[in-house]
Amino acid sequence: MDINYTAEEFAFRDQVRAFLSAELPADIAERVRLGKHLGKEDHLRWQRLLNARGWYAANWPVEFGGTGWSVVQKHIFEEECAAFGAPRLISFGVNMVAPVIIKFGTPEQKARYLPRILDGRDWWCQGYSEPGAGSDLASLKTRAVRDGDHYVVSGQKTWTTLGQHANRIFCLVRTDPAAQPQRGISFLLIDMSTPGIGVRPIITLDGEHEVNEVFFDNVRVPVANRVGEENQGWTCAKYLLTHERTGQAGIGPSKAALAHLKQVAAREGRLDDPLLRAQIAEVEMQLMAIEVSTLRILAAAQAGGVPGAESSILKIKGSEIRQAISHLLRKVVGPYALPFLEEELSPAFAGAPLHADYSAGPASQYFNLRKLSIYGGSNEIQKNIVSKMILDL
Amino acid sequence: MKILVAVKRVVDYNVKVRVKADGSGVDLANVKMAMNPFCEIAVEEAVRLKEKGIASEIVAVSVGPAAAQEQLRTALALGADRAILIESDEELGSLAVAKLLKAVVDKEQSQLVILGKQAIDSDNNQTGQMLGALTGYAQGTFASKVEIAGDQINVTREIDGGLQTVALKLPAIVTTDLRLNEPRYASLPNIMKAKKKPLETLTPDALGVSTASTVKTLKVEAPATRSAGIIVKSVAELVEKLKNEAKVI
Amino acid sequence: MDFQLTEEQQMLQDTVARLVRDSYGFEQREQFYRSEAGFSRAFWQQLGELGLTGVPFAEAHGGFGGSGVDSLLIMTELGRGLCLEPYLQSQIHAGGLLQQLGGAEQRKRLLPVVIAGELQLAVALEEPQSHYHLHHVQTRAVRVEGGWELCGRKAVVIGGHSAGLLLVSARTHGEARDEQGISLFLVDARASGLSRRVYPTIDGPKACELYLDRVLVGDGDLLGEPGQALPALRYQQGRAIAAQCAEAIGSMEEACRLTLDYLKTRQQFGTPIGKFQALQHRMVDMRTELELATPMAILAACVADEADSEERSRRLAAAKFIIVHAGRFIAEQAIQLHGGIGMTWEYSLAHHAKRLVMLGHQLGDDDHHLEAYAQLLKTA
Repeated sequence: MDINYTAEEFAFRDQVRAFLSAELPADIAERVRLGKHLGKEDHLRWQRLLNARGWYAANWPVEFGGTGWSVVQKHIFEEECAAFGAPRLISFGVNMVAPVIIKFGTPEQKARYLPRILDGRDWWCQGYSEPGAGSDLASLKTRAVRDGDHYVVSGQKTWTTLGQHANRIFCLVRTDPAAQPQRGISFLLIDMSTPGIGVRPIITLDGEHEVNEVFFDNVRVPVANRVGEENQGWTCAKYLLTHERTGQAGIGPSKAALAHLKQVAAREGRLDDPLLRAQIAEVEMQLMAIEVSTLRILAAAQAGGVPGAESSILKIKGSEIRQAISHLLRKVVGPYALPFLEEELSPAFAGAPLHADYSAGPASQYFNLRKLSIYGGSNEIQKNIVSKMILDL
Repeated sequence: MKILVAVKRVVDYNVKVRVKADGSGVDLANVKMAMNPFCEIAVEEAVRLKEKGIASEIVAVSVGPAAAQEQLRTALALGADRAILIESDEELGSLAVAKLLKAVVDKEQSQLVILGKQAIDSDNNQTGQMLGALTGYAQGTFASKVEIAGDQINVTREIDGGLQTVALKLPAIVTTDLRLNEPRYASLPNIMKAKKKPLETLTPDALGVSTASTVKTLKVEAPATRSAGIIVKSVAELVEKLKNEAKVI
Repeated sequence: MDFQLTEEQQMLQDTVARLVRDSYGFEQREQFYRSEAGFSRAFWQQLGELGLTGVPFAEAHGGFGGSGVDSLLIMTELGRGLCLEPYLQSQIHAGGLLQQLGGAEQRKRLLPVVIAGELQLAVALEEPQSHYHLHHVQTRAVRVEGGWELCGRKAVVIGGHSAGLLLVSARTHGEARDEQGISLFLVDARASGLSRRVYPTIDGPKACELYLDRVLVGDGDLLGEPGQALPALRYQQGRAIAAQCAEAIGSMEEACRLTLDYLKTRQQFGTPIGKFQALQHRMVDMRTELELATPMAILAACVADEADSEERSRRLAAAKFIIVHAGRFIAEQAIQLHGGIGMTWEYSLAHHAKRLVMLGHQLGDDDHHLEAYAQLLKTA
């Protein structure tokens, strides 16, 4: 047993740290730390910097422009990025649709889409959930009817994160309504500028526009845009979900948030409150437990194992811990959690804060982060997975 | 002119009722009760007539259990001058209630009786009409407008597809429809004043009225739960479903 | 023992419930929220016309002489409708301070217009560093000829933007955290040297920061004896807490109702999600929290107007603590059981959730009241 990184891994970490110190824009890091909103340009700037270093597509094979890193290296990279306040990568392109294209796509699809993801020309969003298909994703109803060398797509997707920035969407659509739910689904790549697509914002309780509804009204999509075989889309979806579930625990972001919490508590003069100290200590200990747990699973994966339903456990506990930290941060700022200062949260804000630079974000962020236990398979669905796959119940 | 207003205690209209397991009726345990909304409109109309100087006294009457005092107090808080409770724990049918009200009309010699057109619990829509028959008074049902001129009362009635205005010679009976008025809120000073207004309790026996019923409730059922709606993709599909599934065209 | 409402209380409840139902649909609330005042002046006026703004005031001053239970009935319904009017701040909290500390002349001059709802009040007690401690006061009041001069800053004054008169705590002697030396002043909203920065709060009502730069007030604007305001501030905060607990109950009941409806109607995996036992038990947990929070709100309402005592303080701290916890649990679980839809602005549940969580950021959070209770803990 050795819970420490190897010398090579430590060296790699230093390399990552040097890069982040030199390249991560300070204004973006500050917005991330303070829980403020990020603009599209913030994300793109950071992506370009990573891509210039060859580190944007950490999960891709080297031949397509990836890093070829081990799982431990990827973990180190993610953790260091979070610690330095780098924005979480918008995963829909680089870490969701790209692995599916690499695994199931045609050579033409790979040649066409992968370079555009790397250099930021394409911003992808995800067309999975529907008003009637949330946790029960396989009940989706968006139809794609074959018409010559096109599909005609009609239906509605929802909770489409940052769809307002996207020029492309990957969708699960029903191509065989007669088949069993999982069997009649296909995976389509759709250009958002195709006639018949409408995007409507959904404003969340924190006043933010992060998610959307996307409507399809007889949208013509070339058959060549289908990934994998017709009616085999569920296979792609499942493969993608395993990718979505790596880094589920969010150790890096939670550690960064915890460090920020302590700084704010100190600045508010609250660190001498034993009750508060105890609550911070409690969440720190839980984070420690889940971190070692993550390393153990990584080590198994490094040795050639496939991460299984354990990632569901990481997602449940990881989201709970991140939410607990956001709860404490909100509490620490006391009455100053109340002012709803949308202008202070915007990327362009340069004025003097009402109270302190850290006080506008916590309440909005606390409410926004309720999503962690809902999206990507709610925590209840994760528990079903654990119950079935690990406990065999 | 003295006005009599009938007031019924029913389950509050915001409550989703539950049918008792044995199907004998609706479960009333711990359920919020309130004045029948049509009766509130009746009280409001009487109070407006008093404010216009047309009515001299408003007497609110209820037939029901002792707890119906609460609804009478509400009527008093809304502007009635005094109240009469005809106390009975039995479930009385419309005819029995109409007979009891007739006895009160005789006793009070009121010129005008205003009632809700129906109660939201039993939905009978007949007490006012029965009272009209028993008293021989003129009746104007489903009123959406009431105007009094001398010894005549003009009632605009909501009838199928339109309005009808009838002139009644007093004494008369009016039953209220939904659009007659917008009932006021009981203000706090009026709630406090209501406490001091007289509330008399009578019994069917004292009024010499037999309440024996010839109607018995056999069964009460909850409405069938609505099945989920569907979204159709085209007009053609809609027409197809209306024709073959719903069979309405 | 009697947990029944009197006939009058029943009618009071019916009146407020109907008023809120008729005037405070979610769409209407959105309009009020986006209006300049941030609440409905028409609704406020109606509260005045119906006599409801006079409920917490003594009959001797022209009020209704209502008990804590009467306030509870009003606040519960205002909470159910997520009403944005500063009833708690103006009528219960500030009004209570004015009634308790005000001299005969001050009461005579101000209480009638406050009771009628014609003059709104606000309490400015919190400061940027005070973190719910009423005696952490750095705002200074210096004696000048004919009155006092105030300098300092007051934080997150709810309803302060629309109040005509602000009740401002300021230090007339002593150090920043001394219990002695705190005075309470009436400050006219239009006073020279007073500026306000107005903002909405995340759960709806508007608030403001108050900046006092050599604001002059007269001798007649001091409430009570100089330097002696703290006991009254604490006592009246207790009444405000009781009202806040009642408001929370209305909101919790509504959040539970909406969630239960959703569990019965939302279909996934071919069945209403309320058929899943894991979700049933979660709903039971929410209901259990509500079931225990409700009597604590009643307890708080019953002791709110009692004479000051350790027992009263203990019970009010306990009520606040239990209700902050219940509120957060119900808010978080209501969102979780709804899924994404529970997080959307256009659905009232999300706003109940915000209200229930942000309860802890006014009049002390759970830790604050846990510490207060621990201080008063009977150990034998």
